[in-house]
Amino acid sequence: MKRRSLMLGLVTLALPLGALAQPYDTSRVVAIGGATTEIVYALGAADKLVARDSTSTFPARAQTLPDIGYMRALAAEGVLSVQPTLILTEPGAGPPETISVLQAASVPMVVVPAPFSGEGILAKITAIGDALGIPDKAQMLSDQVRAGLDDVATQVANDDTAPKRVLFVLSTQGGRIMASGTNTAADGIIAMAGGINAIDQFEGYRQLTAEAIAVAAPDVVLMMDREGDHASTAEALFAIPEMATTPAAQTGALVKMDGLLLLGFGPRTPQAAQALHDVLQGQG
Amino acid sequence: MLIANNISVSYGPKKVLHGLNVAAQPGSLTAIVGPNGSGKTTLMRALTGDVPFDGTIMLGDTDIATAKPYDLAARRAVLPQATPLSFPFQAVEVVRLGLRGGIETNDRLALTALSRVGLDGYANRFYQELSGGEQQRVQLARVLCQVWRPVVGGVPRWLFLDEPVSSLDIGHQLTVMQIARDFARAGGGVVAVMHDLNLSAMFAHQVVLMQSGRIIGHGTPDQVLSDAQVSRAYGCDIRTSTAPMDGGWFMLPQAAGGEPELPVTQRA
Amino acid sequence: MMASDTTTDQPFVQGPFVDRRNTARRAHLWLGLLLVLVSLASLAVGASGTSLWGALLKLAQGDALTLTERVVLWDIRAPRLVMGICVGSALAVSGAVMQGLFRNPLADPGILGVTTGATLGAICVIVLGATLPAFVQATLGAGPLPVAAFLGAWGSMLLLYRVSTRAGRTSVATMLLAGIALSALFAAFSGVLIFLADDMQLRELTFWSLGSLAGASWVKLSIAAPVIVVSLMLACTLGHGLNGLALGEAAAHHMGIPVERTKTIAILAVSAATGTAVAVSGGIGFIGIVVPHLLRLATGPDHRGLLVNAGLLGASLLLAADMIARVVVSPAELPIGILTALLGSPVFLWILLRKRGLVDM
Repeated sequence: MKRRSLMLGLVTLALPLGALAQPYDTSRVVAIGGATTEIVYALGAADKLVARDSTSTFPARAQTLPDIGYMRALAAEGVLSVQPTLILTEPGAGPPETISVLQAASVPMVVVPAPFSGEGILAKITAIGDALGIPDKAQMLSDQVRAGLDDVATQVANDDTAPKRVLFVLSTQGGRIMASGTNTAADGIIAMAGGINAIDQFEGYRQLTAEAIAVAAPDVVLMMDREGDHASTAEALFAIPEMATTPAAQTGALVKMDGLLLLGFGPRTPQAAQALHDVLQGQG
Repeated sequence: MLIANNISVSYGPKKVLHGLNVAAQPGSLTAIVGPNGSGKTTLMRALTGDVPFDGTIMLGDTDIATAKPYDLAARRAVLPQATPLSFPFQAVEVVRLGLRGGIETNDRLALTALSRVGLDGYANRFYQELSGGEQQRVQLARVLCQVWRPVVGGVPRWLFLDEPVSSLDIGHQLTVMQIARDFARAGGGVVAVMHDLNLSAMFAHQVVLMQSGRIIGHGTPDQVLSDAQVSRAYGCDIRTSTAPMDGGWFMLPQAAGGEPELPVTQRA
Repeated sequence: MMASDTTTDQPFVQGPFVDRRNTARRAHLWLGLLLVLVSLASLAVGASGTSLWGALLKLAQGDALTLTERVVLWDIRAPRLVMGICVGSALAVSGAVMQGLFRNPLADPGILGVTTGATLGAICVIVLGATLPAFVQATLGAGPLPVAAFLGAWGSMLLLYRVSTRAGRTSVATMLLAGIALSALFAAFSGVLIFLADDMQLRELTFWSLGSLAGASWVKLSIAAPVIVVSLMLACTLGHGLNGLALGEAAAHHMGIPVERTKTIAILAVSAATGTAVAVSGGIGFIGIVVPHLLRLATGPDHRGLLVNAGLLGASLLLAADMIARVVVSPAELPIGILTALLGSPVFLWILLRKRGLVDM
């Protein structure tokens, strides 16, 4: 299995993803990152997990595990209190002092690559499978996911309608539209589902002006399904003046999906891409 | 001797004091009087080194423009007009600050000083809860502690008082002026900016009358506070040493009989 | 009466009289003891259940500690203890000095723009840090953020000082107003950077602003601790000067206090101590305001005793808050700024309501 050494972002983090799988003690594993936890469960290795981070919300029973907090603000002693033998994490765990203390305590840490693409998911699965010492199961899951992704890709290739322009809105708090540009998970899943990201002028999440939204002219607005400030009904969303004149407003085209499902880039991503693709096609 | 030569002070382009010459003797109380805006407070500020001035001021053989703060603090103490405090100091703690600035080492002096100004038993009272007059007397106690002994090693020490009795009732006004006069009698020098002409006449050995930044009279009270001078300085028709023509009620501090009733420890 | 008065042996009858200096001195002992106890507790308490007593016994018997015990006690709890003492005392003493300097019981250590400057420095690193050349990132490692925060704090103070000082005289009133203007300016710059920040960076910044002792390490302390200790020692020499300044700068001058020198030392000491504290631990509030107030109520406003007691009490309070922060949501950790605000604001309100007349400006 060809493995790419995708070490995104913070190089300061611990032990690299060796080409040679070292045998780790996998009796007490801590998973950091929503997709990481999902993959561990999907590989049937959930019995080894002793703790997870605050973004690990799927499956529901993961939430019964102790929560070590936000991944960029970990407490060293807190992590040590669950007596971990292996930490599986997505890039970005911190602060650096905590990571170095965990290193000093000789807790092995495996950083799993996390690009926003189908290949990226497969790399994650492989990396986690290797770390847990179950490469066969990882291969099975990997094949399964690849099949799902290929399926969606085929459907997208066979679509005869023009791709829909999709605007992913992160929040509408205070009447300000915070939306996704390129190089984000949202951008990735939109592409996978055969849509076009209505915004391509910047990277990351930014606040949009009315003109920018007008230029974007999205056919569909995509949001996460969350409680609190980020929640928005179609009426409320399209009542905002900047949004009211978009093509999406004409048809009331607001799609809401679970955040981790949509953006996690984990084993359920084929389902997410499929669901989004279907909705986009259904809008035709 | 306090000798001030050719003192001029300007606030920006505006000249407030015009080349004044002032002298004060130790062993005497010098009162600086005059209407509002005459520059009395500015002159006091120059004498205490709070405001830049042209000219020279010599306190004994010390040029106050170049002297170090602690040297000056050992030679003279300054009583300001009013002092609000932002923190809950007790009266005795305020008085003790004066001890630190002076040369005395006896801690109990703070309590003695409080008694001297008629604030016996006020030691633990909070300064912020006292009346204006009581606060002023606490400040006087502090200032006395700084220069407790009027003469040290043959060198006289000085008290500078900026309107020391303005917020006091008649009984306490007399007490404070008597303290000042006693300080002078014991050999120290006292310079006081005064509003009240009666008290000035009663207690001052020397009066300096100012108007519009200039000195228009300098001498004993009788010499300086004539009808003509006073009327000219204050801009209204004033007759001194005359009972009112319509025979109405009036009271003069000069007529206050004997020492006012004050706590036992005040009596000599 | 004055002529015959001698200084020392005036027989004096005075009712019962309380000298609060003794109260303040006794408080040194009590607060010192409290700090020792809280420090021991701080070493003994933690999410991992590692026992201090157990470890000490092992050492006494000549046994080796497990790796976890060693890491927890030496790499986690011990530096945190030292950091807590440094930061807690720095904030409390700085608060007391600033209140004395500005003659305002509501002044806090950040009044010189130190906190907003440090925050701006931190935001710069969090948002722009990725644009630094790779080799700079690699060499500085975890370093850039505290360094930038400290530079921001120090830069802010220097700017304020220049603006408010003319011909050797520093105007405290100008400093106050300029501080407000400068804080607004820094907030604007921060706003621009926040706008440019992405989701992750915003979260990182939020956590930094809430304050935490979690970043404590011996490396950081090797720089931060000496700076704070020296600044605080310097600050503690200002006791008499600040007492005099309470009566106003003119009166202080008349009492022989070197007013300008006192102000300069106060500003330098507070900026160094608070700037360092904020740089390594983020924005921890309320210690600087509440601790001096409590002490003034208990032992009086005399700065000579107040400054030392503030250092002791501030350290104890911060350590206690940190202990709670570390265990209350274990295995995660609460940012300590939340706790100091939660505990500090009601206490502050209670102080104000209880003695209405004593906050007099």
